[in-house]
Amino acid sequence: MRLAIPHQQRLPLAIAALGFLFLGLFLLYPLFNVFSASVLDGEGEKFTFANYVKILGRPFYRGAVVNTLAIGLAATITTILVAVPLAFALARLPVPGKAAIIALAAMPLVLPSFVSAYAIVLLLGRAGVVTQWLQSWGIGFGSIYGAGGIVLVYTLTLYPYVLLPTMAAFKAVDVSVEEAAQSLGSSPRRTLWTVTLPIVIPAILAGGLLVFIETLENFGVPFVLAEDMPIFAVEAFKLFVGETAPNPSSAGVLGVLLIAMTSLVLLIQRRFLASRRFATGARAAPPILRVGLGLRVAASVYCWLVVLLALVPFFAIVVLSFMEFRGPVLHPNFSLANFAALFERSMRPLLNTLLFATLAAIGVTLVGVPIAYVVTRLRSGLASLLDVVATLPFAVAGTVLAIGFVVSFNSGWLILTGGPLIMVLVYTVRKVPFAVRSSSAILHQIDPSLEEASISLGRSPLQTFGRILVPLMLGGILSGFVLTWVTIASELSATVVLYSGQWRTLTVVMFQALEGGGGGIATAAASTLIIVTLVPITLLYRLVRRYELAT
Amino acid sequence: MTGIVIAGATRTFGTVRAVDGVDLAVGDGEFFTLLGPSGCGKTTLLRMIAGFCELDAGEIKFGDRRIDRLPAHTRDIGMVFQNYAVFPNLTVAGNVAYGLKARRVSGAELARRVEEALGLVQLAGYGERWPHQLSGGQLQRVAIARALVIRPQVLLFDEPLSNLDARLRVSMRSEIRDLQKSLGITAIYVTHDQEEAMSVSDRIALMQSGRLEQVGPPAEIYRNPTSRFAAEFMGTTNLVEARALGGDRAGLVSLRPEALRLAADAPADWPQVGGKVAHVEVLGPITRFDVRLADGSLLKVATLDAPHLTPAPGAEVTLAYDPARITVLP
Ligand SMILES: Nc1ncnc2c1ncn2[C@@H]1O[C@H](COP(=O)(O)OP(=O)(O)OP(=O)(O)O)[C@@H](O)[C@H]1O
Ligand SMILES: [Mg+2]
Repeated sequence: MRLAIPHQQRLPLAIAALGFLFLGLFLLYPLFNVFSASVLDGEGEKFTFANYVKILGRPFYRGAVVNTLAIGLAATITTILVAVPLAFALARLPVPGKAAIIALAAMPLVLPSFVSAYAIVLLLGRAGVVTQWLQSWGIGFGSIYGAGGIVLVYTLTLYPYVLLPTMAAFKAVDVSVEEAAQSLGSSPRRTLWTVTLPIVIPAILAGGLLVFIETLENFGVPFVLAEDMPIFAVEAFKLFVGETAPNPSSAGVLGVLLIAMTSLVLLIQRRFLASRRFATGARAAPPILRVGLGLRVAASVYCWLVVLLALVPFFAIVVLSFMEFRGPVLHPNFSLANFAALFERSMRPLLNTLLFATLAAIGVTLVGVPIAYVVTRLRSGLASLLDVVATLPFAVAGTVLAIGFVVSFNSGWLILTGGPLIMVLVYTVRKVPFAVRSSSAILHQIDPSLEEASISLGRSPLQTFGRILVPLMLGGILSGFVLTWVTIASELSATVVLYSGQWRTLTVVMFQALEGGGGGIATAAASTLIIVTLVPITLLYRLVRRYELAT
Repeated sequence: MTGIVIAGATRTFGTVRAVDGVDLAVGDGEFFTLLGPSGCGKTTLLRMIAGFCELDAGEIKFGDRRIDRLPAHTRDIGMVFQNYAVFPNLTVAGNVAYGLKARRVSGAELARRVEEALGLVQLAGYGERWPHQLSGGQLQRVAIARALVIRPQVLLFDEPLSNLDARLRVSMRSEIRDLQKSLGITAIYVTHDQEEAMSVSDRIALMQSGRLEQVGPPAEIYRNPTSRFAAEFMGTTNLVEARALGGDRAGLVSLRPEALRLAADAPADWPQVGGKVAHVEVLGPITRFDVRLADGSLLKVATLDAPHLTPAPGAEVTLAYDPARITVLP
């Protein structure tokens, strides 16, 4: 009897089966439970839309929908307005220190955004350092709490999502296209508007959509800044953890609505953006434009200003963490008391953060790289389905996935709640899409005939994967690992739902200190987190640099 | 070593019949070439033998052993790829040793065989180099050494020379042939270049749309094409109505340009046709010219360069052709 599965597909199919098993159990099953909690009545027996009617009947929650969408939209627009000129300047204008600017500009991607929000409060809040200093001069300004402050923090922390793809797109425009326009009589300015910008618009929109989705899912920034304004991810958390009684069905409704919103955005992106890619097949990179001194100075000042401004809050937190706090009130004396207070109770939060990030980053690599292999090497509907499922966590807010885990694994045959494993698993699932994306990008660059050469020389597909693909992907896997590691270290939205007892992390310490008004410990935790993030990133950067110099 | 027998091999992609019922027997130690236009299914057939493409129907045997159901890595084949596929993460020696290590060869034996294989392809002493330090021709030699060193039952080449420049192509192809003959390994070679196929092959299979059009030694296919496609694909030819040449039967015949000469330069018993010179190209060693016949058809003529015989455009000339070199097409 001939086996129905061709040999060269057995390995990808086996991996796909394991991938579906993992994601089915730790992604689809929890999400299904969130969904069923939202459509079952109080006894958990009958199907009903009563929960939806109840939630959406309350102006408070309708307001949450409107606020979340409006803030997301506003932040997307401001981000684009800030990032596109920056991208153009970095790609096409003579700006001194470009490499440094680009390295600094990528940093907000890995630094925790709620730390930035908290720094803004410490600087510009009611009792903020800058606020008080200005007041002593008799200058006042509007409140940074609420929508304005949230949009400001989003803009400062999310602009790289638009900057990086747009800059790449500006660089990828084939110079001959612009030259053609100018030879047809178009002025440089008109060429920019009518030729260059339209070519980069898909990249701008793609970045903008990432920003929009990030804002919908973000928990930490509105938690710090929204005050009484209802925001989706925060309200879902409050409903679930319950100031009065935990309420999985109402939290489920918010969770389902949140997933529906993000999925809708992602679908729109797939439909309209995927087909609108203008490949110009750049043969010659466009030249740096010659501009007058005025524009050159303006562009340089703008670039440095944006990049540094975005990092000021993080810098400020580190400085403030070395000052004396009495309760929430800051005194400008140098002191190590905050760190002493943070660590004298226990080193556990720091160790937990390091441990969880390491375990989850290993998990993400072990799950993500093989899935990427299947997605790029197996041409079938199954592979596309796996791709979609593995991308799904991107559309699920951390809060919602965490709620699903608690609902799913607090009883029955697999009990995870209360332990460390549940946190590691949720982190792993959340970051899988990023690992799959980055690994498939690398795999697309590796010619499949290398694998065939290895197989024809007598190595089985599995041995070929280990001996040829893994070594070739190693650099990419390593940088993916570091990036996953640092983003997990500063994960907040799922962590606050899942932590328990001794398994608190640095972000939880910060979160609790914020709730309890312990400003000193919060800044110390935030600084520690920044250092924990920057050390591996710097090491990675140096490693990459050395590697590039070597080859 | 091993002969290859292919029976009824078929593979369909969607609606495309990439390989359509191919029957083929390749002799032990033979240098066999699959030749055909782009998309005719050469690569697909080769990959079926290598084990990278499933058969929908049919079977493939090495000698008496059926291999089309074996996993690719157990088939004992040396394959040389169009884009070299040299592992960039291994040195030259590491690449050549790769298949030997998979066969658990180690120590002094490994080193000796690697060095020997590198010597065969004239890369002795290059073992410690990295692939990115080599030229395209050297990379292709590494790929060949890597395939040879495992002493496979069968060697497969998929357009191995198409990424090299014209001169290197010519010298590498005779090197490949010499190596294959000295080692006596059965080889199947894929190319779409007719001249390359003719220069290296013992036999050629001419393919079109997934089917074998004609199989035979290069000279035989060139001299006696059995179809219009074979006549046109194997070099330049004149396809003319037999009547235009003064014949008495209807139908197409193929007449190679070099079978035509100016009547003044030809044996007296060759049949003659008259026409007017339309176009002349002096290419160096040979001269080509087109002659328009009375019925309007055009005959391409190729002669060795002969200054005193080169006609001028517009001149009326009489041509003669070798009657033995006319091929009647079905
Ligand atoms: N994996 C595949 N999926 C779908 N169609 C395929 C696949 N591989 C080959 N084909 C189709 O099968 C036909 C034969 O392809 P094949 O690669 O064997 O041609 P070829 O003779 O090697 O051509 P070339 O000289 O261009 O390399 C083509 O029509 C091709 O489009
Ligand atoms: Mg081919």
